[in-house]
Amino acid sequence: MSSDVRSASAGGKKKQGGFLSRQAKAKQLDPKEVVYEADLLRKDHVSPDDVLRLNKVTEKYLCPTEANVYGIDFTRFKLRDLDTGTVLFEVAKPPPSEEGEDGDVDQCIDDGDPNAGRFVRYQFTSHFLKLKTVGATVEFIVGDKPVTKFRMVEKHYFRERMLKCFDFEFGFCIPHSRNTVEHIYEFPTLSPEEIKDMIDHPYETRSDSFYFVEDKLIMHNKADYAYNGGTV
Amino acid sequence: MGLLTILKKMKQKEKEVRLLMLGLDNAGKTTILKKFNGEDIDTISPTLGFNIKTLEHRGFKLNVWDVGGQRSLRSYWRNYFESTDGLIWVVDSADRMRIQDCKQELHSLLLEERLAGSTLLVFANKQDLPGSLSSEDIKKMLDLDNIKSHHWRILPCSAVTGEHLLEGIDWTIDDIASRIFTMD
Repeated sequence: MSSDVRSASAGGKKKQGGFLSRQAKAKQLDPKEVVYEADLLRKDHVSPDDVLRLNKVTEKYLCPTEANVYGIDFTRFKLRDLDTGTVLFEVAKPPPSEEGEDGDVDQCIDDGDPNAGRFVRYQFTSHFLKLKTVGATVEFIVGDKPVTKFRMVEKHYFRERMLKCFDFEFGFCIPHSRNTVEHIYEFPTLSPEEIKDMIDHPYETRSDSFYFVEDKLIMHNKADYAYNGGTV
Repeated sequence: MGLLTILKKMKQKEKEVRLLMLGLDNAGKTTILKKFNGEDIDTISPTLGFNIKTLEHRGFKLNVWDVGGQRSLRSYWRNYFESTDGLIWVVDSADRMRIQDCKQELHSLLLEERLAGSTLLVFANKQDLPGSLSSEDIKKMLDLDNIKSHHWRILPCSAVTGEHLLEGIDWTIDDIASRIFTMD
C-alpha cells in the first residue's frame, strides 16, 4: 500500500524535509517524465503513473462514466478544521444536508450533460486559505462485486501550479460496503500574494480526482473552487 | 551526524506506520479512532466496511484502518493484513458474554503469517461502564500471557473519556519504531 501527500509551494520554502528527501521530491518532478493529456486520451487504460506525471489540470475526462463497473459512489464529503475542531463543510447525498457556514456547493445537474455528477463547484470564503490543519473525509459505497487495489490520486492546482497531490491506496473494498477515509493534513503554506491571487481569480483553483482499480482508471471527477464567497 | 544517522532519520521521516484496528462488533473501534482524532463521537453507526484515517503523529505518518467487526465481515479481515505494523485489538470490557468469542478471534489472528511481525496492543475499552472487567481480568481471559509470537501490551481505556488512548497509540508506535526503524 502507499499513501503520499505531496505539497509544493513554489516561491515559498518547503517547511521541512532534509537534503535527501528534497532530492527524492525533485526526482518525482523530472520534466522528462511529464505526460500530456492528449497522450492519455489516446490510451485504452490510464494508470496511476500516467496521471502522476501530468503537470496540469485536465480539460477533458480521461475515462467514460461507464468505466465504473463497480458501483462505487461517493456519498459524503466533509471538511473540518482540526485547530478549532469545527466542521467547515459537509455535503451528503441523499438527502443533501444543510449547508455549512463557510461553504456552498453546486452540483451540476443537467440531464443533457453526460458528465453531470462528475464535476463539483465549491464556493468558499477566504477564511479557507488561512487554515492550518484540515481533515477531509470522503465516504463511498461499493456495489456487489469486491474491489481490489482501489487507489486514489487527487491533484490540486492553482492555474499551472500544483498545490497538493494525494496518492492513497485503499486496497480491498468489501462488496456492499460503506467506507470512509479521512486525510488529516497540513494545508500548503501560501504567501499573502498567492492568497490574494486565489481569491481574486475564482475557479482557477481546480482539482482532478482519479480513481483506479487494479491500476486502471475507473472514475475521474473534477472540481473547481472560489474563495471569494460571503464575508469573514 | 554520520551518514547512517541521516539515513535512519530519513527513513523515519518517510516511513509510514500502518495500524490495523480489529475486534468484535460494538467493541468501540470507530469511537476510539474518532476520539483519538478529536472528532465528534455522538453519532456512530456500525461500520459496514472500513474507516481509514491518515495523519501525522510525532513525525510518523500513521495510516489507521478500522474494519467492521460483525461476524459477516470478519472473513474479509484477511484482506487488510498486508504491511500491518501494529494490530490494535479492541475489547468491549462490559461484554462478558462474548469474551470467549473475542479470545478465539484474537488467537486466530495471531497465527496469521502476514501479521507475524506486528506489535499487538489490546485496548480493554469501555472502562467507563459500570461492571466492566478490569484489564487484568481481560488479560487472563484472553490468555495474553501465553502470547510469545508478538510484542504485546494491554491497556484499560475508554473511548468516551479518552483515557489511555494516546498512551496506547504511543506505546504501539514506540514498539514498532524500535523494531523497524533501528538500523542494526
